[in-house]
Amino acid sequence: MQTYISHHNFHTLLDTLITGGIRVVAPRLTAGTLLYAPLGESGDMVLDQLPRRSAKEAFFPVCEDILSYEKGGQQVRLTDVEPATFPVTVLVGVRPCDAAAIPVLDAVFSWDYKDEFFLERRRKTTVIGIACTTADDACFCTAVGLSPAETKGSDLFLTPVADGGYLCDICSEKGEALVADGSSLFTELGNVTPLPFASPAVPAFDLKKVKGWLDGHFEDPLWDGTALRCVGCGACAFVCPACHCFDIVDEGTEKSGKRRKSWDACGFWKFTHHASGHNPRDKQPKRYRNRIMHKFKYYDDKFGQTLCTGCGRCVRICPVGIDIAAIVAEIDGMAVE
Amino acid sequence: MNNTIDISHYAAIADSIRAEAARILEQGVVTAVVAYTTGRRAGSVQPVIITAAAEAERLTFTAASVNNLAVYLTKAKKDIPRSGRIGIVVKGCDLKALVGLMGESQLQRDQLYLIGIPCAGVLASTVRPAEALIAATLAPKCRECDAHLPEGCDYVPAVSLPSAPTLEPSYAAEIARLEALTPAERWAYWKEQFAKCIKCYACRQVCPFCFCEQCLCDRNKPQMVDTTPRPAGNTAWHIVRAMHLAGRCAGCAECERVCPMDIPLNLLNRKMAKELKELFDYEAGFAVHEKGPLNSFMEKDDQSFIK
Amino acid sequence: MHPEKNNSSAFEPKIIAFVCTWCTYAGADLAGTSRMQYPSNVRVLKFPCTGRIDPVFILKAFQQGADGVLVSGCHPGDCHYIAGNFHARRRFAAFRKLLEFVGVDLQRLQFSWVSAAEGGKWVDVVTDLTETVRALGPMTEFKELALEEQWSGALTTPELKEAYLQI
Repeated sequence: MQTYISHHNFHTLLDTLITGGIRVVAPRLTAGTLLYAPLGESGDMVLDQLPRRSAKEAFFPVCEDILSYEKGGQQVRLTDVEPATFPVTVLVGVRPCDAAAIPVLDAVFSWDYKDEFFLERRRKTTVIGIACTTADDACFCTAVGLSPAETKGSDLFLTPVADGGYLCDICSEKGEALVADGSSLFTELGNVTPLPFASPAVPAFDLKKVKGWLDGHFEDPLWDGTALRCVGCGACAFVCPACHCFDIVDEGTEKSGKRRKSWDACGFWKFTHHASGHNPRDKQPKRYRNRIMHKFKYYDDKFGQTLCTGCGRCVRICPVGIDIAAIVAEIDGMAVE
Repeated sequence: MNNTIDISHYAAIADSIRAEAARILEQGVVTAVVAYTTGRRAGSVQPVIITAAAEAERLTFTAASVNNLAVYLTKAKKDIPRSGRIGIVVKGCDLKALVGLMGESQLQRDQLYLIGIPCAGVLASTVRPAEALIAATLAPKCRECDAHLPEGCDYVPAVSLPSAPTLEPSYAAEIARLEALTPAERWAYWKEQFAKCIKCYACRQVCPFCFCEQCLCDRNKPQMVDTTPRPAGNTAWHIVRAMHLAGRCAGCAECERVCPMDIPLNLLNRKMAKELKELFDYEAGFAVHEKGPLNSFMEKDDQSFIK
Repeated sequence: MHPEKNNSSAFEPKIIAFVCTWCTYAGADLAGTSRMQYPSNVRVLKFPCTGRIDPVFILKAFQQGADGVLVSGCHPGDCHYIAGNFHARRRFAAFRKLLEFVGVDLQRLQFSWVSAAEGGKWVDVVTDLTETVRALGPMTEFKELALEEQWSGALTTPELKEAYLQI
């Protein structure tokens, strides 16, 4: 179903939600960097750029507590974090590349183990996606089968129109409920001109062909060639909307502390380091290979889709200019039917 | 004031690098050359390690040649095959790091073949590598560069360095601004900055001086610094990082460039460099120092802060 | 001397002292055996040498709730290991500048040379630091930091809880 909301009404909608006690998370300048963060008022929202970190942190935080422990005498008292306390959230201004990653994460976090932290946040969050009108040459959503107008992952999907307002596509019951709550702000679809969508320049990959090549090339000179220069930081994984590895550590003293879950990255040397001292991924190219394999093969093997939405963040921020789009294009070029 | 930075000589530099790299590989002077090559994106440049003369044609040098390639010669990059002499392309700031590594007995001069760049400046960020080099996009380190012409290299392309516009040093101004604040205000500033940190450790991984086999922050017996990306552990990490680089950091500012969260990390490094100059009259430069300021001492060192 | 000490709710600073075993620890011992009185706020941690005291220990002390930190060792020239304290002197000269730059009040961090014969100086140094810190009040910066989260991980703030309960 399609409807329309003016620029002014859209802001009114968000401000009403905020004053109503709903946490509204949107791209906002935070100490000089555009990040998703809770808004105090809708005017703080910045929609003309892709935030530096992806929207995944609304469901899968950078770091979260999972329990606390306290030792008294011979007793250890454990207190679980109760996901029921998570706030109801409306996540706004999510570009298709970020929104499409959410169902990708759903699959992982509800597969063999139901991650109640992720799933509870997911249940309580309504995603307002927005069609993308600006792309740079790091963007490649169209190359991985998505598009700047992709509604996957959004509950409500906005398409900017020339007058500053938005066309709204209702994509789920959550989106419908949101529109129903603010129904006076939405109007009939008039004669509006949507702004032209962004057009990323990277030609589409044949993802099955790429996977086919990866299936048979665990060992290949390509890995050394592309990733010898990888310096082994976790920047690519941490800005990625779909990377979902995490680490669990206990922090505190012997008397009391917290068990915490935080983002981890396969680029780190420590990621596969065994307690014995052995490291099966003992060289950086092997770690980088895992990044490509996981995105374009392992995830596909398990869930039948690709773990990359082409947002281009890793391409922009890689300290040594490793370009996942160029690598996949290279593989695509080599693959044999 | 002239806003554009004249880098018209970079094309000639790139030609010279290609010719020289081909020559030294061909003649067996070196076994590998660490240099820059172009990437897929318009204007993008990335590090490359070549081992055959035929590959030299891929090399380039542009305003996006930001990386400090010295990191590839440290023992942190064990995967880089190292046999025989290695050629490396260095800007002045990169050379200072190499010199520092020599002082720390990590590298030997005779194992290196230095291709020095008469550098007019590079971009501050590679998020948009095709950007024109103007005062606003110039790396802050280049505004206060005293090393446009690296000294003591084996080869320097024969080009003349265009005259550069005089720009206000931005680090010094920002340090002065922060110093003038109250401790509580400074704490608030850094708290906001460090809160953004996601512990991707890009700052550590690109740093030529972070070559420890195992970083203090990766060890858990004892766990000196919390590993989680929370404000507390982030603050501790950045203080430890700045302290471990004090008196060693030569100011390539790679940490700051690569930070995906835009934390002004080089401010901490420049502040420490400034303090160590004032306290111990030490500055990182082109001369190899056998001892840094924090692993040497003088009996007359200031101790006015000690009761 | 401190009437407010009787009041159990009054602020009692927690002072961590990192000392070298050869001089300051012996000096503190001397103060004890000589029955000199000094504030019981100080918790002494003994190291082989000031040269072994890593700046990260100071950071850790503040993070774990210290209101003040004292680092003390042998006078220059008296180091049991010849030069440990000379190295420490440079290191701490640099470290305090760094802490100051990130916004730590340097009045909470004291360095001193206390020899094995200076029981009286130990008492003075500890008393001075304790009183300075008492006047400054609790060191809240690091403790508050420990309670903070990135927004996405925060869930237990009262406002959010309240907001949630209202829904």
